[in-house]
Amino acid sequence: MGFQEIEHTADRALKIFGGNLKELFISAAEGMTSLMVADMSGVSGEIEKTIEMDAIDTESLLVEWLSELAYWAEAEMLIFKTFRIQNITVDHLAASVIGGKLPALEKHIKAVTYHNLKIIKSRRGLEATIVFDV
Amino acid sequence: MVAIHDFKQLDEYLFEVPAAFRKDMRVPARFYSDAELLKGVITDNSLLQLINTATLPGIVKYALAMPDIHQGYGFPIGGVVATELPDGIISPGGVGYDINCGVRLLATHLNHEEIGPFVDDLATILYTNCPSGVGKGGSIQLMAGELDQVMSQGARWAVKKGFGSEADLERTEESGCLDGANPAKVSPRAKDRGQKQVGTLGAGNHFIELDSVEKVLDADVAQRIGLFEGQIVVQIHCGSRGLGHQVCGDYVKRFQKMIARYGLNLPDRELVCAPLSSAEGQDYLAAMKAAANYAFANRQVLAYHIRRSFEQVLAGKVSNHHIFQIYDIAHNMAKVETHRIAGKKVRLCVHRKGATRAFGPGAPELPPAYRDIGQPVLVPGSMGTASWVLVGTRESMARTFGSTCHGAGRTMSRKKARKTIRGLTLREELEGRGIHIRAGSMSGLAEEAPAAYKDVDRVVKVVHEAGIAKKVAKLKPIAVIKG
Repeated sequence: MGFQEIEHTADRALKIFGGNLKELFISAAEGMTSLMVADMSGVSGEIEKTIEMDAIDTESLLVEWLSELAYWAEAEMLIFKTFRIQNITVDHLAASVIGGKLPALEKHIKAVTYHNLKIIKSRRGLEATIVFDV
Repeated sequence: MVAIHDFKQLDEYLFEVPAAFRKDMRVPARFYSDAELLKGVITDNSLLQLINTATLPGIVKYALAMPDIHQGYGFPIGGVVATELPDGIISPGGVGYDINCGVRLLATHLNHEEIGPFVDDLATILYTNCPSGVGKGGSIQLMAGELDQVMSQGARWAVKKGFGSEADLERTEESGCLDGANPAKVSPRAKDRGQKQVGTLGAGNHFIELDSVEKVLDADVAQRIGLFEGQIVVQIHCGSRGLGHQVCGDYVKRFQKMIARYGLNLPDRELVCAPLSSAEGQDYLAAMKAAANYAFANRQVLAYHIRRSFEQVLAGKVSNHHIFQIYDIAHNMAKVETHRIAGKKVRLCVHRKGATRAFGPGAPELPPAYRDIGQPVLVPGSMGTASWVLVGTRESMARTFGSTCHGAGRTMSRKKARKTIRGLTLREELEGRGIHIRAGSMSGLAEEAPAAYKDVDRVVKVVHEAGIAKKVAKLKPIAVIKG
């Protein structure tokens, strides 16, 4: 599992990898967090949120998952460093996330887009490319 | 990727990918460019994105892009798509997440010499008074229910609260308020995101910039709109903040279900759309207008903070520190407009994503003060480079649905910009050229470096020579405030 930033002229884009859906979603969350925060050492582990959501398909679920995390970053400067996905299917996710507040963020994620978003099977399991509006 | 042999040159500055290029194209894809700008256009995915928009149901004449076209998501940035009512589509992605991102130009009665000794203090006070950066709340506390008024009344709400004047409204697109906005179509989360952000700049490519008018190219029009050489002016570039981002995201998500319902065959899910006549289409339009009004109010409150800052620094020190408005214009918007096609008046939904409305002389939508000269068009350049004031033309009405460029347009990825440019070095270089910089993030500064953008003078030359806007004045920066 993991992520890699790829070139995008106007915005930011990540290629994400995972052996299964759970790993893919954690890679996506860690990747997006790396865009917002350069140094995670200041992120405490004192705040926990539970997230449960449904979507029409897995790509939509991925957009919703990341949008939820981006919302907390904007609304409360709350950055998560631990992502515990308890249950994930093609259209449902239940997770708890743990993190803390920061005084400032490196980058604002305005939105997570559907641009050319497709979760595909690869040698490494699953992968997708996500474009973020920044 | 689209290659040079896939398109033909229609005239010196206009190129076309024929509808036959791909089976799913309903109309040709046209773009304005020149030999130099073309090199950038064919190296990213912007033309492919433009071609994708040519597949949208109800599109008329051609999918269009301005010379500042660059790769976005779904639509290219710099794209213009017009669909015919009643059943042509509206696409949230065709407006973008920052609904009614736009530019306001304010002007002073001061010249560069008078303001010179105070520019550094002004930059500091502007940075303090105009909240910027990620998640920063504004200095305006909204009462319960007041956010709905912001979304319904736009800049008029701000003026009623004492943050401006009727003269500001007269010189704002749609008088700063789109009719038909419905806050009930905006989600609780969008409202939550918008509650504390009225009067904030945000981050990314948004800025406040002090400029001087370097050169007037059309003396009559410049005089009519209130510009003269050497004059100090102020640009505000920002939009609808988290509220607009959430409105777009909410409807892109909701519209995903429309793909099956309306049998849409879309090359990219970000192009998701619904007929404007459908309940979903109408809901999005009403929510988009609410977000657009929020953006007009946001820029109005920022203008108030700018006036306040000028008063704090300059009162009693210069002859006249007062500020008046030249114009305020959106460059991310969908609007229902009447255009003439094949001699007939038709109602269209014109999406402009990173493109500016540029109505020509005589357009009834323009305020009386500008009706005979055409609508002012505000084209900010990249940080540290020129910006331009243009006016719309009759040709833009005939050729581009009354649209023109919106800026320089990026040419280098943010990743590469951060890798090759150091924010601190860039700041030193700009300050060495006499441009005062206040920025919250050095990596953010690096991403917005002039080297990451096309040459705005070249972009403006193309729209001027092509006749889809006319040069009025060139501005040069003296202070930049960024999140």
